[in-house]
Amino acid sequence: MRREEERRSARVVVLAMGNDILGDDAVGLLAARALRYAFPEHVDFVETGEAGLALVELLEGYEKALLLDACVTMRHEVGTILEFGPDDFSRVVAPSPHYAGLPEVLDLARRLEIAFPKEIRILALEVEDPFTVKEGLSSVVEKALPHFIARAREVLQELLGHEQEHPSVHATKP
Amino acid sequence: MDKQVQDVFNEGHKQANAAYSAARRRITVDPITRLEGHGKIDIFLDDKGDVERAYFQVPELRGFEVFSLGRPAEDMPQITSRICGVCPTAHHMAATKALDDLYKVDPPSAAKKLRELVYNTFMLEDHALHVFVLGGPDFIVGPEAPASMRNVLGVVEKAGLEVGKRVISTRRKLREFIAYLGGKVIHPVLGLPGGVAKGIAKEDLPQFQELCRDALDFALFTLQIFRDIVLKNDEYVKLITSDAYTHRTHYMGLVDENNCPNFYDGMIRVVDPTGKEVVKFPAQKYLDVIAEHVEPWSYVKFCYLKPVGWKGFVDGPESGIYSVAPLARLNASERMATPEAQKAREEYFATLGYPVHHTLANHWARVVEMVYAAERMVELINDPEITSTEIRRLPTERPSVGIGVVEAPRGTLIHHYETDERGILTKVNLIVATQNNSARMAMSVEKAAKALIRGGQVSEGLLNKVEMAFRAYDPCHACATHSLPGEMPLIARIRNAAGEVVREIRR
Repeated sequence: MRREEERRSARVVVLAMGNDILGDDAVGLLAARALRYAFPEHVDFVETGEAGLALVELLEGYEKALLLDACVTMRHEVGTILEFGPDDFSRVVAPSPHYAGLPEVLDLARRLEIAFPKEIRILALEVEDPFTVKEGLSSVVEKALPHFIARAREVLQELLGHEQEHPSVHATKP
Repeated sequence: MDKQVQDVFNEGHKQANAAYSAARRRITVDPITRLEGHGKIDIFLDDKGDVERAYFQVPELRGFEVFSLGRPAEDMPQITSRICGVCPTAHHMAATKALDDLYKVDPPSAAKKLRELVYNTFMLEDHALHVFVLGGPDFIVGPEAPASMRNVLGVVEKAGLEVGKRVISTRRKLREFIAYLGGKVIHPVLGLPGGVAKGIAKEDLPQFQELCRDALDFALFTLQIFRDIVLKNDEYVKLITSDAYTHRTHYMGLVDENNCPNFYDGMIRVVDPTGKEVVKFPAQKYLDVIAEHVEPWSYVKFCYLKPVGWKGFVDGPESGIYSVAPLARLNASERMATPEAQKAREEYFATLGYPVHHTLANHWARVVEMVYAAERMVELINDPEITSTEIRRLPTERPSVGIGVVEAPRGTLIHHYETDERGILTKVNLIVATQNNSARMAMSVEKAAKALIRGGQVSEGLLNKVEMAFRAYDPCHACATHSLPGEMPLIARIRNAAGEVVREIRR
C-alpha cells in the first residue's frame, strides 16, 4: 500500500467517468482511451462508472487530477466543452441514497486528512443523450469528440508542466 | 471562480436541470430508454382534495434487456455488471450463476467458495457504505438535524473522525481484495460458466486471512456504533416502530438448507406477515411464484406473489405484496449461520418482535447482515479448499435456458436467459431488487402523502418525509450514479380528481 501511495504522489490521474454502453455517456472514456498512449509517463488513466465515495479511493494520493465526463446542462449547445474547477458546484442535498457529489467528497477528504490532488481540473462535454442503452455516440457528439480530446490533451500538458492559474468556467464551441 | 459568477452558474445549472427533467418526461414510453433517474412521485387527490393514491416511481432497466438480445450469453456477466455503478458484483454473480445453469455445469466446490467469498466481501463493503454514508443521515446524524448536516459530513462529525477514517480504509481494503480476484471492482471478470477465472495463491493467503479478521472486527465495531448512537436513543426507536413506516406484507429471501440467510446461493423462501412459510422454491421456478402487476399510469411493474394474488396496494396476509432486502431476509429466515450474527439477530428480534414490519428497521437489519458477511468471510478464507487450483469445470452441454439468483444488497436479484444452440441470447429477463420492493415502496410513499395532504392543503416537509420513507429501501437509481455535474431532483406532482396536475413541488 505504501509503495502505491508513493507511486501516486508524483503522478497525475485522468479519471474518465461514464458508461460505454450508454450512448453519449461514453465520451469521457473515449477521450481517455485516445490519450492513453500519448502520455505513457507520469499519468494514470482510470475509467469508472462509480460516483460518490468511490471518488475518494480513486483520487486519493495523486498530485493532480483531470476528470473527464459527459454532462447535460441544456444551457449550452451539444458539443460544447465545459471546464470547471472543484469549487464550482453548489453542494447538492440529493434525495438519492446513492449520491455523494464531488463537493462532499472533497470536503470529506479534507476533514479526514486524506491526501488529495492539489489541483483538480474537470472537462465535461455537453452531450445529447447519455440515457439510452446503446453503443456509439450521437452524430453531433461524435463530431465534437476530437475537439474534446484536443482540449483534454492541452489541459493534461498544463498539469504536467507548470502550475496554472485556477481556471474559471468557460465554454468552448467546437 | 468569482463568487457572483459561481452563483449565477449554479442557479443556471439548477434551472437547466429542471428544464431537462421536464423535457425528458415526454420520452418515458420509449422502450429502449433507461427511464428517469430521479425520484418522481405522483399524488392523486379525490374530490375532497384528500390523497386517493400516491406513487413513487423508480427507474427500470427494460432497455437493457433489448440491448442484450443477439449477443453471446457469455458476455452477460460483463454487460450486466455495467447496469449499475452501485452493485456491479451482484449482477456479475447473478449472471455467472445463470450461465452455470444455461450450460448445465456445476462448478467445483472451491470455485463456489471463492465466488461466495468475493460476494460476501462485496456485501460487507456495500452495506458499510449504506450504514455510514447513505442511511447515516437518518440515523447517525438524526432525522431532525438540519438538511446541511444530513450527509456524509454530518456522519463524520457525529461519529468522529477516527470512525470516518476507519470506514474509508476498511472499504478500500475490501475493494482491493475484490480486485485481486475479480479484476476491476466496477467491471469484475471473476465468474465464468462452470467456475472462476482466478484463485488465491497460497503465498497470498496470510494477508487475506488478516483482512477477513479485520473485516469481522470492523463489522462488530459497526454494530457497537449502531447500538451506542441509535438504540440508546429512545426517539429513534420510537421512529423506527411508528405506524407511518409500518406495513404487514410478505417477505422474501434466499436461504440455505437450515433456513439461514445466504447471499450467494440457496432456495428462495417466502413467509407471510405472521412469519409462516408460504413457499420455498429454486430460482428456476420463479415465474410460478413472482408475477408483475401493471398500472396504466406507470411504466413500473409491481411484483407480487402469484399464489396469493394481487389485491391492490394493501398489506396483510391476503395481499400478494412482498418485500425484499435486509429486513425481509431476516424475516424470511429462521436463524443466522454464524454465531455473532445470530446474537445480533436475537437482539434485533427481541427488541422489535418477529416478524419485523417496520421499514426503517432495514438499517438495523443491514448491520446484522454485515456481521454475518464478515463471519462468513472468515470461515471461507480459512477453508482448506480456498487455495485449490481446481476452480473451473468446462461446460460441454448445449445451452437453452439459464436462471440464476443471488441476494443483492437491496434484495433478491434474478437473471433469466434463453439462447439458441450457439449460446446467442434470444430472451433476457431480469428481476432487480428494487422492482421486488416497488409495491411496498409505493405504499410507504402513499402513507406519508396521506398524512401530509388534507383537503388539498399540502404540509411543509412533504418531500423530506417521503424521502425518509423510501430511503430505507435504498432504491436503485441505476442511471444516475455518476453524471457530472450532478443533481438528482425529487419531484412530487399533485393531481386532482380529473388527473390534472394542480401543483408540483421540486427539490
